Amino acid sequence: MKIWLFLLEFSLVVLLPISGLFALTRQFQMLQQNSYFPSRYGGWVKTAFLPAMAGQIVLAVLLFFLVLKAPVALSVMLCAFLLGFRIARAVSTQKKSIKKLVFTARIKRLYATAAVWYLLLALAVHFSKGTLSSFLFLFLMIFVFVTPLTALFCRTVNAPLETAVSHWYVRDAKRILRERPDLIVIGVTGSYGKTSTKFILSRLLSEKYNVVATPQSFNTPMGVVRTIRQDLQPQTQIFICEMGAKNRGDIKEICDIVHPRYGVITSVGPQHLETFRTVDNVFATKFELADAVLQNGGEVFVNGDSAELMRRIDPSRYKVYGTNPTFPFCANGLTCGRNGSAFTLSFDGRELAISCPLLGMHSVLNLTGAAAVALTLGVSDRDLCFASASLRPTEHRLELKPWLNGSLMIDDAYNANPEGCMEAVRVLSHFENMQKVIITPGLVELGDKEEEYNTKLGIAAAEICDIIILVGKNRSKPIYDGAISQGFARDRLHVAAGFQEAAAIYAALADANTVALLENDLPDNYLY
Amino acid sequence: MKTNIAFFFGCRSVEHEVSIISAVQAMRAVDRTKYDVTPLYVTKSGEMVTGEALFEIENYRDLPALFKTVEPVALVREEGAVYMKYQKSGVFSKKKPIRIDVAFPVVHGTNCEDGTVAGYLEYLGLPYVGCDVLSASVGMNKAVFKDVLKSAGLPVLPCITFRARDYLTEKEPILSKITEQIGLPLIVKPVNLGSSVGITKVENAAELEAAVSLAASFADTILVEPAVTALREINCSVLGDADDCEASVPEEPFMHDAILSYEDKYLSGQKGGSKGMASLGRKIPADLPPEKTEEIRALSCKIFKAMGASGVVRIDFLLDTDTDTVYANEINTIPGSLAFYLWEASGVPYRELIDRLVQLAFKRQRGRDNLTFTIDTNILSGVSFGAKGAKGAKL
Repeated sequence: MKIWLFLLEFSLVVLLPISGLFALTRQFQMLQQNSYFPSRYGGWVKTAFLPAMAGQIVLAVLLFFLVLKAPVALSVMLCAFLLGFRIARAVSTQKKSIKKLVFTARIKRLYATAAVWYLLLALAVHFSKGTLSSFLFLFLMIFVFVTPLTALFCRTVNAPLETAVSHWYVRDAKRILRERPDLIVIGVTGSYGKTSTKFILSRLLSEKYNVVATPQSFNTPMGVVRTIRQDLQPQTQIFICEMGAKNRGDIKEICDIVHPRYGVITSVGPQHLETFRTVDNVFATKFELADAVLQNGGEVFVNGDSAELMRRIDPSRYKVYGTNPTFPFCANGLTCGRNGSAFTLSFDGRELAISCPLLGMHSVLNLTGAAAVALTLGVSDRDLCFASASLRPTEHRLELKPWLNGSLMIDDAYNANPEGCMEAVRVLSHFENMQKVIITPGLVELGDKEEEYNTKLGIAAAEICDIIILVGKNRSKPIYDGAISQGFARDRLHVAAGFQEAAAIYAALADANTVALLENDLPDNYLY
Repeated sequence: MKTNIAFFFGCRSVEHEVSIISAVQAMRAVDRTKYDVTPLYVTKSGEMVTGEALFEIENYRDLPALFKTVEPVALVREEGAVYMKYQKSGVFSKKKPIRIDVAFPVVHGTNCEDGTVAGYLEYLGLPYVGCDVLSASVGMNKAVFKDVLKSAGLPVLPCITFRARDYLTEKEPILSKITEQIGLPLIVKPVNLGSSVGITKVENAAELEAAVSLAASFADTILVEPAVTALREINCSVLGDADDCEASVPEEPFMHDAILSYEDKYLSGQKGGSKGMASLGRKIPADLPPEKTEEIRALSCKIFKAMGASGVVRIDFLLDTDTDTVYANEINTIPGSLAFYLWEASGVPYRELIDRLVQLAFKRQRGRDNLTFTIDTNILSGVSFGAKGAKGAKL
């Protein structure tokens, strides 16, 4: 009997906490993927984890009473089963995850904290007696089974250490940049378009320089620091740094690390108003980049087509780009065709014919801003034209590709916001002298506004398109009515039950001189 | 944090020693405030070694002693970068792998300059200085080089080629072809060697046999072309890539013998230590009328672009003084001493030449990075193999 009692205590106090460490993997994974923000992680716990955890709690309670009442040997076996079950589940969850937990130093520190905490509790259980021991055991079991609690606990305990570590990283990044006085740092910020502009700029500058840019949309101080420490090579000549902001001072914080010599501000608009409150605050934050660049004696490029931006600045202090001929860098004469967009870039009294496969006014503006910087940094006309023509669109976002009967498709299937939708219809209007077709089920999941937006879409489509093919009879009714209200001929307005039918209608009328906009929410299996 | 340049030199080539001289000169010319230098010496038996001793030309006089001080290494690609790893690293003397940022081949001749080293570096995914695989191998084969230039409409002498093996069995048809199409005097060359090795000028038919036999000991294909009697040899270097290139001032090497021999090129004036091409008797710039100089420089750039060359090359021309016609004779895709003496005479110091060459290597790499070579999605990941695969995607 004694050996069973020993085994029971061993399983409960040692093995179950070990299973707890395994079960924490999922929590740490989600904590990591929520950038260690307790609020964002908490959101995941509430919506995705708590419902699934009910079973676990039942198990824990069952176990607790079993330990009190059941024969010891049975308890041991149950513990062993539970242990195996939890470990197996933790492992299989990781295996199935698309984005797995990355064992960074920070994650290892979290595991260490969890292990120490379990060990302390287990020792306390072991060396205490009576009620206190039972109470401590319950406490231990809560931490073993309520893993989100443990995860948050460890994160809180480690917080001061993590702050110190990140300070060290920042200092290290600053040291690396100090050792590279020849490195040209370019900051890119804006409410919209900063990531695209960064990628385009990186491509254009790579014609002449060795360029490193912050990857994906890494745009926080720690993202920038990480890029500097990991990606910067000795031969790197230009570092393009995307700067994101949610609060006043965010951009300044990044500028204080990287000291940009050039800046691009792509737009100012009502983004992140939940933290910024006013567009004035957005403007002030974005222009922290301008202040830093001007202090370093550099040049700031701003998008003159952003009304909220222009109304707040003295244009003579900046290099303004946009579509107005009075701007130092001006894109005009936009047309679209088989090769994408084509426009004329005017600057320094010169003109350059640019073509690029990207569609949409926002892309043209992003390219114009990037071209302004590239030309200033000495990229030749020939190289600039070549690089522009070799840009590639993001999949399913105004992506131009060949389709049925030699016609063109503008694949905008991933677009789901009303403004983007209107912009896509405008893009269609730039395909001069071509038969224009829109194929769409309309906008969805917009609540009360859904009908209003779809009617607007119908009105806009009626103005620009030659043929409208709607998908889904009931869903697309507001678009239908919108188009008819503009006097759109019924015989040019088709309603298909599904995508196969829509494609069949299209195939019958499409030729090499037809362009079709596929707008929003088309199933993947239909796109290639 | 400095860019680490690995200099490749030596190799299993008849021009092994020349390569050492060129490489040691080049390594000394590197701007050390900007770059680190890692010597990668490939011995005549093909082993790759590194060590401080390799920076000093004197150390190469006694190779067995040199080999005691150097360490065998290998290049490996890990996590998107290329590292030099020490082959013999003990438990107590564990040497950390060294990251290589760019390779600088200073190799001459077959088994290396012919695209072999370029291919190896390409395979590693390491940016490298100089011609790529295709242009290097075109440059190494004198017959293919002539074909490429001919189809680009650039002036070359006619030639015929034949296999050395066939010469023994089908001597008569080959000889008559030579007499008909080439005539005397003529030049016999191994098709793929630089530095004048195995080249003979044949004045009368009796000398042909020996000339072919000599050439056949260096290559299995022989090239025969007419010899220009009123000859001036003019060399010109080109620096850049197929997008942008410029030509140096031309030079005229002095000829002691009918043809500039290997001894002339690399071993003359040896008492004062080997200085490579730079020490050879030569006139820089070549004494030519300005129009001729410009003609040769423009022609050099055209040849460079026609070949898709990169880095620094030296193109050797034949100037027929009777007809005042220029022919491209051969190209050195990695010229002896990297033709630095021509660039210094053209206002580009050796240090700057090296710097520009390294930047060209990075430029080519960027161009390649912008092209698509692999598709990121794994097609096989969605395929089920075997009997259960009825529902799987079709390949």
